[in-house]
Amino acid sequence: MSKGMLIDTTRCIGCRACQTACKSWNNLPGIQTSFSDSWSNPRYLSAADFTRIIFREQNKPDGTVGWYFIKRQCMHCNDPACVSACPVGALQKLASGPVVYDDSKCIGCRYCMMACPFQIPKFQWDSAVPYIRKCTFCADRQAVGLEPACSATCPTGALLFGDRDKLIAEAWNRIRQSPQRYHKEVYGDKIAGGTAKLYLTALGFEALGLNHRGFRTDLGDTPQGVYGREWMGKVPLVALGVGSLTLGLYALNRRRAQVALAEAEAKQPGKEV
Amino acid sequence: MTNHWNDLANSDCIFIVGANPAENHPISFKHVSAALNKGAKLIVADPRFTRSASQADMYVRLRPGSDIALFNCLSNYVIQNNLFHKDYVIHYTNASFLVKPGFSFQDGLFSGFDPAKKAYDFSTWDYELDAKGEPVTDPTLQHPHCVFQLLKQEFSRYTPELAESVTGVPKEQILALAQLYSATGQPGKAGTIMYAMGATQHSTGVQIIRSYSILQLLLGNMGVPGGGINALRGESNVQGSTDMALLFHVVPGYMAIPNAANHPTLKDYLEKETPKASFWTNKPKFFISLLKAWWLDAATPENNFAYDYLPKIGKGYEGGGYSWLPMMQAMYTGGIKGLIAWGMNPAVGSSNLNHTYAALANLEWLAAFDLWETETSIFWKRPGANPKEIKTEVFLFPAVDALEKEGSISNSGRWIQWRYQAVKAHGDAKSDLWYVNRLAQELKKLYKEDPKAVCPQPIVNLNWNYGDDPDVHLVAKEINGFTVADRKQVPNFLALKDDGSTACGCWIYSGFYPGPDKKDNKAAARDKKDPSGLGLYPGWAFAWPVNRRIIYNRCSVDANGQPWNPAKTLVRWDAAANKWIRNDVPDFKWIDPATKTEVPPEGSVKAAYLMLPEGRARLFVPKGATREGPYPVHYEALECPFINPVYPKQQSNPVVKIWKSKLDQYAQICDPLYPYIATTFRVTEHWQTGALTRNLPWQAQLFPEMFVEISPKLAKDKGIKAGDWVKVSSARGSVLARAQVTNRVGAFRCGQPGMETTVEMVALPWHFGFAGLVTGGPDKKQNYATNQLTPAVGDANTMIPEYKVFLVNLEKA
Repeated sequence: MSKGMLIDTTRCIGCRACQTACKSWNNLPGIQTSFSDSWSNPRYLSAADFTRIIFREQNKPDGTVGWYFIKRQCMHCNDPACVSACPVGALQKLASGPVVYDDSKCIGCRYCMMACPFQIPKFQWDSAVPYIRKCTFCADRQAVGLEPACSATCPTGALLFGDRDKLIAEAWNRIRQSPQRYHKEVYGDKIAGGTAKLYLTALGFEALGLNHRGFRTDLGDTPQGVYGREWMGKVPLVALGVGSLTLGLYALNRRRAQVALAEAEAKQPGKEV
Repeated sequence: MTNHWNDLANSDCIFIVGANPAENHPISFKHVSAALNKGAKLIVADPRFTRSASQADMYVRLRPGSDIALFNCLSNYVIQNNLFHKDYVIHYTNASFLVKPGFSFQDGLFSGFDPAKKAYDFSTWDYELDAKGEPVTDPTLQHPHCVFQLLKQEFSRYTPELAESVTGVPKEQILALAQLYSATGQPGKAGTIMYAMGATQHSTGVQIIRSYSILQLLLGNMGVPGGGINALRGESNVQGSTDMALLFHVVPGYMAIPNAANHPTLKDYLEKETPKASFWTNKPKFFISLLKAWWLDAATPENNFAYDYLPKIGKGYEGGGYSWLPMMQAMYTGGIKGLIAWGMNPAVGSSNLNHTYAALANLEWLAAFDLWETETSIFWKRPGANPKEIKTEVFLFPAVDALEKEGSISNSGRWIQWRYQAVKAHGDAKSDLWYVNRLAQELKKLYKEDPKAVCPQPIVNLNWNYGDDPDVHLVAKEINGFTVADRKQVPNFLALKDDGSTACGCWIYSGFYPGPDKKDNKAAARDKKDPSGLGLYPGWAFAWPVNRRIIYNRCSVDANGQPWNPAKTLVRWDAAANKWIRNDVPDFKWIDPATKTEVPPEGSVKAAYLMLPEGRARLFVPKGATREGPYPVHYEALECPFINPVYPKQQSNPVVKIWKSKLDQYAQICDPLYPYIATTFRVTEHWQTGALTRNLPWQAQLFPEMFVEISPKLAKDKGIKAGDWVKVSSARGSVLARAQVTNRVGAFRCGQPGMETTVEMVALPWHFGFAGLVTGGPDKKQNYATNQLTPAVGDANTMIPEYKVFLVNLEKA
């Protein structure tokens, strides 16, 4: 039975206990941050932060002030683009739900980063021996019968862990019972071929202005793995070698861009990706 | 809390005011969410749109410090529209009591005010008594001088229109709020109020809580499941610390600390402090058992149970005792030589910090017990200070963390819960108990050995035997109490005696450790059964008193003992069987201890509030127990940009103490130099003064820097952009903060009707400082503590500082 998580953002109080529990369970370091005008901090997912709460202050449809808290992390797609793009099988979708990563197989090509429509896999840019890092859906905890660290710590039940199909039924049930409370969509039910993480929101992601920030609404229902398999099938292995070289150059440029971005950030906080 | 955390789930309407539990008590939202999922409504009234407000069905943007105007208006609506719970009000409150004819209220002042002393003569604030000395009542509530009519008359002034000009809340919304919340006045419905420091930290803090309580009583919401008036304590164990008398005015178990003038002898104390009626008639048993716990064999009938050993208020600061503000004043003027700051960080948390720093610098010594260096232990090298000019000798003792020691924590719902040591202490760190034990042992030795010691007996004779490596269970057992002769644990406080045959460290906890073994420790009980289905969990931990989960529960049933809401039965009189059905421990006389027969409901209907001599909840507080008046009326904060719209002749609380040192400066009313209202707040991610969380990288990264919330309009007017550093100043100091530009704060339009003006409000978190991993800014050259701004003016009863309203200016830095 494939597991999922229902993220009912209308029940989230933005306490960020999930962010801290995630860092605690995964033994991730605290990082240096600066003031964030939106309160979201850190401003990006990274190899040190697998999940974060996006704070959206925005008027409600009735014109009064509203404040929405949207948890972001790997969606754990049913048919993930990252898995299909990985030339060496370092990324795997487990039948139980999680999309997991094997350090020992990774060759550092970072195709997964480019393939993911949600911009989830992150690279350990600061490490001499870098790996890809992202939310694992606490596959290690699930393997021993524990629920993920984030949902275990959530005080309000905004994060509900369980069988994916039951959660989808529960999500639609909630929409039916409180139609005023919810946007009429379970994000993750069908999108991108379905994901383990399922969202209920008060407003659609377009209305929340997050459709370009990790919650794309233009993906359709096609499983994302389709694109990766098609593409990877056309790439002979030898091209991978060349690809690695060019990616090295890409990494250098990317790093430069990151530094420049960080410097700009220090001058002008509040911008988020 | 009159109720407890889990009970929030039983509520039909949750009213959060002066609190922000989604942020500061996030676990409480487990129970709030449970209520909401069952269809309850959530109201949040706050000057800021908070994370709690984000969950609300109705958000009310209330000007800070205007709660009384709003709640008196709500009570007025309930009275005028006959929506109060009549049976409840008549039976369980003092609404029907007649007040002395001399009592009056005019131009913002009650009868008996002495302007020279800034104090009241309370003699008219009392009930009219009959020939037998009993209060005269009018159960029809029609007598013009009964409490109900007095309240009705004064509260009628608080129309929605006037309330709007005080609170800034549109009158249409006030009416919608009144309609929504007054629905809980129907018998069987329950509304709860959750409040915290947003209510208390005002010069009118006590009266603000009174205004909430009066509304709850009118609606019959006290003593019922899902109701009550629920103080959310600011730390995990504040409840325990106040129960154990980490306060200036009481000894453990909420008995007054003796006063040198009023209580020179034990006889005086017991006579004056023991009322003629109510459960407090047992006070001598509790008090003498406390003296026995402290001095055991040295406390004898001959020496009045060592009463003279007890320090008494009298030489304390100007006779008022050493609450926080007078203590700081006394340190500042040299009256106090040394300070032990025990897990306390006054160099960030105290109000008017520049005064606090001067006070700390006047000490001869300061001992700080903490996990690591905090602002307090390095106050002498804070930004801007010259260490050479500060002679205070500072000692820093390494203390263990909560996870490194065993003991108990009492939560806001009065549950004492045992905690075990999870990890070994780090380095040389020791527990607080270990330190206080060593200190006591050393003091006893010094006093014993020094022939010139002054008054050595209280220390030398102290009953202090917890071992060299102190056993916390021995302390716990002493708190429970025991019989002196055979050292047997008492079953509960009903076994305590006033003849010296029993000892008890804190009577309200008596019964939590009724046997000699660790298995008898009910604080460690972890039975998850909930037979009533009301979330009472009687086998989980121990709720004081006597494991009662909801106090005043006589009021959950009518005069005949039948529940207002049968689906939520705490207790019920079964007339056929002549007995009480008890899901909770009854908070009334339900059994005759002599005959062991159960007492029918008529035996308790006149004493549903059994801790009060009149047995009824007080809509009107007699005899000056609340110093600025028997019922709440609106006064403005000491620093305020508006003339009091309700009583223009009486701007602020007439009996507050205003300190006059050169560091105690105040803005004028409507001061052009300080044109903005400021308030302070906390966030989930940091704890109190930040001494802990600013040193934890995971927490620090969430809120690394000091900020101030300002509205887009104010930002535009001042040329401030999001993230800019701004300087916020008050009459007392200034602080740097980064601008958070947000619609969650804004301006208030208030003032006397016809003369309203619009004033912006800004809000600052008070977690930052100058020590630790993150201080609030990019370097350690600045002090980012908000309390450099706040005034040291206290509530007239509690002396809690007015952190929640003051005036500031703000400029781009």
